[in-house]
Amino acid sequence: MSEEQFPQENPKENNPFQQQNPFPPQNGGMGFNGMQQPLPNATIVLILGILSILTCCCYGVIGLVLAIVALVLSKKDRALYALNMGSYTDGSFKNLNAGRVCAIIGLILNIIYLVLCIIAIMMFGLTALSDQDALREALENMK
Amino acid sequence: MKIKVLSILLILASNTEGFFHWLKHHLITCPFKSLTSIDCPGCGIQRSVVALLQGDFLYSLKLYPATIPIIALFGFTIIHLKFDVKNGAFFIKMLYIAVTFIIVSNYIYKIITNQLI
Repeated sequence: MSEEQFPQENPKENNPFQQQNPFPPQNGGMGFNGMQQPLPNATIVLILGILSILTCCCYGVIGLVLAIVALVLSKKDRALYALNMGSYTDGSFKNLNAGRVCAIIGLILNIIYLVLCIIAIMMFGLTALSDQDALREALENMK
Repeated sequence: MKIKVLSILLILASNTEGFFHWLKHHLITCPFKSLTSIDCPGCGIQRSVVALLQGDFLYSLKLYPATIPIIALFGFTIIHLKFDVKNGAFFIKMLYIAVTFIIVSNYIYKIITNQLI
């Protein structure tokens, strides 16, 4: 997206050398003539990372999917930022990192919850779990 | 457009008891709870939100202590994305960790005190 937009905005940069070289020119880290834009997926990663913990109730599956999507998107954007530091805003990179941390925490919690669910089903069986009295008895026998 | 929204709000406000009665009987059933009859870590959040809408803060905290931090997290995220607050990403991270800590400790407390069923 950035490669398509920049030649239109400043036609002076539109030479073949500039397009082959993804690194910004050396002008104080400001990138292409000070034109900075936010990273394309920073907001989405942040929102998906936050949502990944809130949907943990559905067996941990939905949150797992959201967290993995957020992690993949954040990996792409981090690669973009590492290639071309000057042309993206600092704030969006901070947002991206916050979203990444949220997604990692959500991923770990969702995996723990999924494993706990599987262990519970293995220990008690679905029939005992769907019957409240049988489950209460099983829990009291455990003590 | 504004008049429509205002009139809907007025209808809701004039008939709050009926609205809450309707809301309380139309909560989404937790799939985990309906399958296994055990509470999941998110169980109680809908009742807690309804209690919060009715203005009962203590009962809302008792049902699900993480509701108010979650709403604060969402509100702050929207404000941050709109107005780009300084150090906003750091606050979101910290709020998120606090929310997860509250949810996990609440679930462990529920397990220890046998409130799951």
